[in-house]
Amino acid sequence: MKFGQSSIPRLWLTALLAVIVLVINFPVIFMALNSFQTTQQMLTSRSVFPEHYSLANYIFLISNTPYLTYLKNSMITSFGAALLSVFAGLLAGYALSRFSNIFLGIYSNLLFAIQMFPIILALIPLFILFRPLGLINNPLSVIIVYSLINLPFITWMSRSYFDTIPRELEEAALIDGCSPIRAFMQVILPLAGPGVAAVSIFAFLFSYNEFFIANVFLRTQNSMTLPVGIQLFIQQFSTDWGSLVAAATLAMVPTLVLFLLVQKFIAHGALAGSVKG
Amino acid sequence: MKGFGTTVFAKPGFTTAVILLSPSLLLVAAVIAYPMALGLKYSLSSGSLLRPGGFIGLANYIKLLQSPGFYNSLQFSVGFAIANIAGCYTLGLGIALLMQKGVPGQGVFRVLFLLPWIVPSLVAVVSWRWLVGDEAAFVNRIIKAFGGSPIFFLSTSGWAVLIVILIKIWRSFPFMMLSLLASLQSIDRTLYEAAAIDGATPRQMFRYVTLPQIRNISIVLCLMMMIWSVNDFDTPWLLAKGGPANATQNLVILAYRYTFDRNDVGMGAATSFVTLFGLMVLVFFLLRLQRRK
Amino acid sequence: MSNLRAYFVKLTLAGVIFGESVAAANAAPVTLNFWDMQWGVSEYAVAAQKLVDRYNQEHPNVHVVYRSVPWANWFSTFTTAVASGSAPDISTGAGFQAVYFFSQDAVVPVDDVVKEIGEDAFVPGALEACRYQGHYVGLPWAVDIRLFLYRKDILEAKGQKVPTTWDEFRAVCKAVSGNGVYGYVSSGDSSGVHTLFVTAINNGGGLFTKDGKPALTSDRTMEALHFLADLAKDGSVNPASVGYQNFDAVASFFQGKAAFLIEGSNLPAQAPADVREKIGILPPMKSPHGDIGTNEWINNIMVYKQTTHPKETFAFLKWWAENEKPLWTEGNFASFPARKAILQDAYFQNNPNYKYAIEVFAPIAKTIAAQKGGTFPELNEVDGDAAFSTLIQQLWQGKPLSQIVPPAQARLEEIMSH
Repeated sequence: MKFGQSSIPRLWLTALLAVIVLVINFPVIFMALNSFQTTQQMLTSRSVFPEHYSLANYIFLISNTPYLTYLKNSMITSFGAALLSVFAGLLAGYALSRFSNIFLGIYSNLLFAIQMFPIILALIPLFILFRPLGLINNPLSVIIVYSLINLPFITWMSRSYFDTIPRELEEAALIDGCSPIRAFMQVILPLAGPGVAAVSIFAFLFSYNEFFIANVFLRTQNSMTLPVGIQLFIQQFSTDWGSLVAAATLAMVPTLVLFLLVQKFIAHGALAGSVKG
Repeated sequence: MKGFGTTVFAKPGFTTAVILLSPSLLLVAAVIAYPMALGLKYSLSSGSLLRPGGFIGLANYIKLLQSPGFYNSLQFSVGFAIANIAGCYTLGLGIALLMQKGVPGQGVFRVLFLLPWIVPSLVAVVSWRWLVGDEAAFVNRIIKAFGGSPIFFLSTSGWAVLIVILIKIWRSFPFMMLSLLASLQSIDRTLYEAAAIDGATPRQMFRYVTLPQIRNISIVLCLMMMIWSVNDFDTPWLLAKGGPANATQNLVILAYRYTFDRNDVGMGAATSFVTLFGLMVLVFFLLRLQRRK
Repeated sequence: MSNLRAYFVKLTLAGVIFGESVAAANAAPVTLNFWDMQWGVSEYAVAAQKLVDRYNQEHPNVHVVYRSVPWANWFSTFTTAVASGSAPDISTGAGFQAVYFFSQDAVVPVDDVVKEIGEDAFVPGALEACRYQGHYVGLPWAVDIRLFLYRKDILEAKGQKVPTTWDEFRAVCKAVSGNGVYGYVSSGDSSGVHTLFVTAINNGGGLFTKDGKPALTSDRTMEALHFLADLAKDGSVNPASVGYQNFDAVASFFQGKAAFLIEGSNLPAQAPADVREKIGILPPMKSPHGDIGTNEWINNIMVYKQTTHPKETFAFLKWWAENEKPLWTEGNFASFPARKAILQDAYFQNNPNYKYAIEVFAPIAKTIAAQKGGTFPELNEVDGDAAFSTLIQQLWQGKPLSQIVPPAQARLEEIMSH
């Protein structure tokens, strides 16, 4: 990176980014701070920031509510949905990137239609569809629906990332005697690393935070995911905000850890040298 | 990029394509075809969810297109989408540009910028609501410190619309940023080196190297952001259920209200299909525009 | 020939197995699904579950499965269940859910259970609010009376006496408003709409006339709306009310930033100790015509038509209605019971707020069916319709009544014409 595109010294850049991060995340920080206040304190405190800090909400959350069950369910559904949609989406994205025929054209438009379709409309028919299959209160129902919802954009994004990988690479592999599928898996896929990691993260996140669909299909306390379980803190005329924000803060931790682990795969691609050879 | 080399792939390509597409197609056929068909049927009928009525043709659509509520929601949905795309893209690209060359602690930053997106929507919206909700809220205290009088952000339609747009941009930009960052970091460095050798300024390099390289992904991202904005139920609903006084009631909330508050599943379905149709037309034209360039 | 024989053997075997399974089914415990709304903080669900466990223990041939249902999107939860054939056997719900589902042929009347318990076992007005077309569509179990509460300390600090009429109320509100303190705080959600109901009924008006015609534009109701609009014009109402939810309004009240608030009678119990004694219940105010009255909600339990065990379900319903005291004593449920017997318990008699509400307000409280009375399915659509929260939001925004009331009245007429 010696081409000196920018003259901002590294340290200043870090400082600038740190400030931006803090400002942008202020609402999150605010929420996290409030999670150390009980609902009672929130009702009566006059200052913006908590005056007393306590872990009461967290202790209550873990010991008195099925929070860990919700967490487990969220993990299962999110991972499942991410796996399914990334698998299907990568393959389809590759096909759209490399081939061109009427079949694919129609498929591409179909994807748009799916993406644009307000899922709210599909929920009741889906519920009626899934019920005789025993899929209500079963994570599989949600995994299928999430995969479908994520499919269009994962396909498109995969396709965009594949578009940036020159065809010469597969052609070279084919000439060497690889089958097209093998060429895809061993040559192209590794190079699309940043793109693959990015779409996997997106697929996971979209599923993890999703409320509406999960609320329709997962209704027993044993099957609920986090966003739905959190809603149980809201009663008819009042809300247990203390538990709610504590639950939300805690819910962010697994995803943060996950991303810290995965994000290094979104390092810049190592294309520069591979084409010239 | 597309047509190049297809002759090599022509025959075996078709089967490969089918194989590659099959998991997707199975999913789609199983899950979307039935609801779509049923939804269309609902839109042409009267009655409620529990007691679907008879076929009434296009009556729902006509009633919808004649209702002022529809145009109110349409106006909001369109404005919301445009503002959201503009805001997210600018913010996302800006931060991605700052981070593309690698900063110390890059990994941590990348994750921290994701936070607005990771926070569950309910909590994100509530958090914002507490920050602007009344005179004693944080933002108003800052305004007071600067000598101003408090603004009741959620009590007037204009400010409420602004707040809901800000919340949506805040929640969505991480997605843009991450995608653009991955795209920026995949750009072949030799292109920059070549430009530098030709004596290009940083500005020219941005305009002639960076932008063209991220053009395709940018269009895809903006298209998706448009679709997600129009179909966003959570953000305006959790903030004020489409209020105050229907100022933030978008088309999806309108469809929801028809279906569940008014027990009129036909109107709800009609609203959804009109939204869908509008989006399809937009997408069609935008893609056309992209291809022509 | 041997094929036919094999066929008959198989048929007989099948018949035997079937017969055995039927017998086995009769011996196996009956499972009932009971969906109960989130009526309180977590203690409520815990207390309810304990009660259900007790029932299961005492009745080994029945197994009741308790499920806590969140209030968010409650209507879509129940309608999807009913529409897809997976309704529970029995549930609590919103105030007019039972009568609506009854009109959609999804809920069965509980007349037999009422007869067994006896009509005078219930608080006056409770049964009436569950009667539709000659049937009791739900069993009343809780009464939620909405009334004015006030901060004694704020009134004292400004040397104000407790108001007894609307004019006095308006004057007191104006006197105490200033410096971030307001006379009245409300919200823009369904709790905010309670303000409309309470004042309209107080004035002898309401959403409906005695024959059930929409009456938002009637004289009595319009007077109430004018009263509220005047309060806002005076600057006595917190402008943030438009965007508030009930929680925010209550917080504002607890923090001493508002002198008056409309909420349930047991609100002081939710307040921290030092604030509790400062909160009082405002005695019924006389409207300009000398009327008194307030708004109440009768929550009821309903039995679904899709139940395959109606006998056991009704038995459970009767038991639940008689043994539900722990929902208050252990679950801290805020409304009070519709059963007179339970009301006699020391828990309620020793609580001055409950006692006052029961003795003074219960006789004058009416549901949103006022002034028609009874219950009817359209009320479910009225309850929670955006038109009314929009109306109250615009009212707090200070928009002229001539502009904002007609659309709400039109919507009410539309609902009633279905």
